Amino acid sequence: MNKWLWLLLIVTCWMAIGVAVFGFREGRGHSSTPLPDRIGRIVSLAPNITEILFAIGLGDEIVGVTLDSDYPSDAAEKPKVGTFWQPDIEAVVAAKPDLVITLGFEQQKNLAERLRRIGYNGLTVNIEKVGDLFAAIEKIGAETNRQRQANELTGRIRAKLQRLATLVDTGDNVRVLWVVQREPLRVAGRGTFVNEMIELAGGENAIGPTVHKYPPIGSEQVLASYTGVIIEPTMGGGDIKGQRDRALQYWSKFKYIPAVASNRVYVIDGDKVSRLGPRLYEGTETIARCLRPEIFKNIKQ
Amino acid sequence: MSDIIEIENLSFSYTSETTILKDMSFSIRPGTFVAIAGPNGAGKSSLLNLMCRALKPKSGRIRVDAVAIESYSTQALAAKVAVVRQELVPVFGFTVIETVLMARTPYYGSMGFESKADREIANEALQATDTARFASRPLTSLSSGERQRVFIARALAQNSPIMLLDEPTNFLDLKHQVGVYDLLKAAQVEKGKTIVAVTHDINLAGQYCDEILLLGADSSYHIGKTKTVLVPERIKEIFDIDVFAGRIGREEFFIPLGKFAKNHKKTDKGLKNI
Amino acid sequence: MKQLLTPKKLAIRVGSALLLLAAVMFVCSMIGTETVSLKAVFTGGGTEASINPDYVIFFRIRLPRIILAGLVGAALACAGVVFQVLLRNPLADPYILGISSGAGLGAIIAVISGFNWTLWGRSPIAVFAFSGALGTIWLVWFIGRLTGKFHVTGLLLAGVVVNAFFSALMMFLTSIAKSDQVYATIFWLMGNMKEGDFLVLWIAAGCVVGGIVALFYIGPQLNALSFGADDARSMGVNVAGTRIIAFGIAAGITAVSVSLSGLIGFVGLVVPHGVRLVLGPDHRQLLPLSGIAGAIFLVIADTLARVIVAPAQLPVGVVTAIVGGPLFLILLVKYSRKVNWLK
Repeated sequence: MNKWLWLLLIVTCWMAIGVAVFGFREGRGHSSTPLPDRIGRIVSLAPNITEILFAIGLGDEIVGVTLDSDYPSDAAEKPKVGTFWQPDIEAVVAAKPDLVITLGFEQQKNLAERLRRIGYNGLTVNIEKVGDLFAAIEKIGAETNRQRQANELTGRIRAKLQRLATLVDTGDNVRVLWVVQREPLRVAGRGTFVNEMIELAGGENAIGPTVHKYPPIGSEQVLASYTGVIIEPTMGGGDIKGQRDRALQYWSKFKYIPAVASNRVYVIDGDKVSRLGPRLYEGTETIARCLRPEIFKNIKQ
Repeated sequence: MSDIIEIENLSFSYTSETTILKDMSFSIRPGTFVAIAGPNGAGKSSLLNLMCRALKPKSGRIRVDAVAIESYSTQALAAKVAVVRQELVPVFGFTVIETVLMARTPYYGSMGFESKADREIANEALQATDTARFASRPLTSLSSGERQRVFIARALAQNSPIMLLDEPTNFLDLKHQVGVYDLLKAAQVEKGKTIVAVTHDINLAGQYCDEILLLGADSSYHIGKTKTVLVPERIKEIFDIDVFAGRIGREEFFIPLGKFAKNHKKTDKGLKNI
Repeated sequence: MKQLLTPKKLAIRVGSALLLLAAVMFVCSMIGTETVSLKAVFTGGGTEASINPDYVIFFRIRLPRIILAGLVGAALACAGVVFQVLLRNPLADPYILGISSGAGLGAIIAVISGFNWTLWGRSPIAVFAFSGALGTIWLVWFIGRLTGKFHVTGLLLAGVVVNAFFSALMMFLTSIAKSDQVYATIFWLMGNMKEGDFLVLWIAAGCVVGGIVALFYIGPQLNALSFGADDARSMGVNVAGTRIIAFGIAAGITAVSVSLSGLIGFVGLVVPHGVRLVLGPDHRQLLPLSGIAGAIFLVIADTLARVIVAPAQLPVGVVTAIVGGPLFLILLVKYSRKVNWLK
């Protein structure tokens, strides 16, 4: 028989065997193995998930975190399984987890899929909005048999936020420009969780609705925003005082906008406000203090 | 014996405005050595390409070995016609023997390897062209003349009754020019091949070729025995240049005459050597 | 004194190269961010409750990834060989006709559209990238044909135009994407190797190996083609048929590679040259051996990508560029001395 026909025959058989043996077996849904009763080993692939786990009392069970999980301080001591953007699947496997918790964006969702295919239990949570956070805490609590602690945590946070809301309810909203990057100038838009925190703190985003979540803007829009307060979160620790000096220098050229004219440019510690986690209240309160310092003059942090 | 190449009412052009070949009809008998000569742009290379089906005629018919050229498969046509084109610099470093063996590609075994018979044919071709000593050297390391002989060897290895060559002696030194023509003549005489070569050198053509086809820039043409067609009047008509015709023994030669050529004087009766 | 290629010589060379490949794959499977002991591996997979990590790491993470790297390396190297001979250009690589930007565009569309559906549990990026690649090939072929039947220059120009246009589209989409989507796309574009699931690997292996064998079958015709279409036709080679088969297979295996592991450069350019320098341009040999050499090259590059900056990973395309870039410069200098057209 002609060599081409042989080739075609062999390749067709090969494919048929493959489909028969491996089939679509592996893709058929997430047939997850049942969770053990006591989940003793958990790997968290995001810093806010780590914070949630500690907050509901599962700190000891954590056997792997990503490099940037630095809060609470115990988290920094945990074994590392890669970075937030590139978790190391080998390290995750070597940690012998009972449960792996990931966020919902493409990269991590993909990793969770791969782990599930190999036979590990995975849980994926979306934490993009404040509402998501509460749902995620409850979901994690349900999965790890810590519903009580999860409910307590969400209850606590909600209560504090409620109290804050009444405190800052002065009838008008303070306009805030949330600057994440100075060159080029980028601010947080209305679709972000930061925006939600601002509103919970009694503020209003000085920028109108935009297509991008973190739109780059020009000086024109800064002037048009007529913002009363400018807040810059620090990125990755660093020297707050130094950043404050540089910020003030940068903004001095915009001396006609109300925020600069009335000296209301604030540089705050980025940790509590860049991560949507259990410290939601602490971050929101920090923002509220910037917006209405006079209310908080007598209230301790 | 029927003619091996028959051209009937052939017309060809690249664009619709100009015509390069107009209504040509002629045939070539097997075992002849034909030269095609003419000024630049007359269509010599086009005619050659038409004869090996690299180009399609606008109208007219071409028959190879009494069969219409369109009805040949690529392989069957290659078994009849081998082509040596103007020299190209190869991109990859194939050796001489590998290059010559490629002519046997249609005859390879099922796994794509040449047989012993193929290798013998290739070696014979190398011997005939005196390139056997380069067999293992890459083509790029040879001189132009040597490379040209290798391509001729490849055409010989095709074992086809017809060989078409497009200016095979361009860029060659005198010794190699004569060498190539000797080679071709030997192929004609010893193996009975039909050779059609495009050339600029009318003297060599006169020496070696039985017949010559002169192509004019105006699509006119003359074909016939060399001693009949290659005469000063025809040459003047086709090439638009005066020549001095001389004879030494049995060889006739032509020297083109420009304005500053020495030793001639125009008289009423034509040119006279002084 | 180079001797002619014979079936026996070829078999010996291919056989020893395969052994070398197997050895390299084995050694590389023992290298990684975690230490794995062979003994522990062979004690089995463990139970559902207590999975044996050594087994999992070896058989389900490293080995599949290494096999994929081998397949992609082989596919890209062979595609490189084919494009270099079809376009008669030693500087051609598998992406020269726009396949890369087509696949990239497909990938970014998949990421941005946020499709949550999965194709039998697998991410849609690969499918979109594959379709993008195939669509681009068709488009370039179609545009190229407008300039006349398979004019090499026309094809190259079409590739350049399509590349430019799709790259612009990609830039636009990237600029309006969310930050994590941007990161995901860029990372995919730089080339990445993951352990695929068995079915995908199996099918990819069938395509790639089958494709390489088919290309081997037309090896002699490709040899003739390297002298130009006219010459090849005069020698009796079916030029149109050879071109379609070669182009189709090369484009196909490139599309498969790109959809599985993003854009990995330099393998398709540098490996064919290296093998040609050592063993000569005979495609009956060049094809299988470039495939194996490409596999070895990429397996090693991927291993380096896995361990050099642990616990993070370098995209494997970065490693091949860092290694391949200087290699390519050396080849360029060497070639420009030999070949006139570069001057």
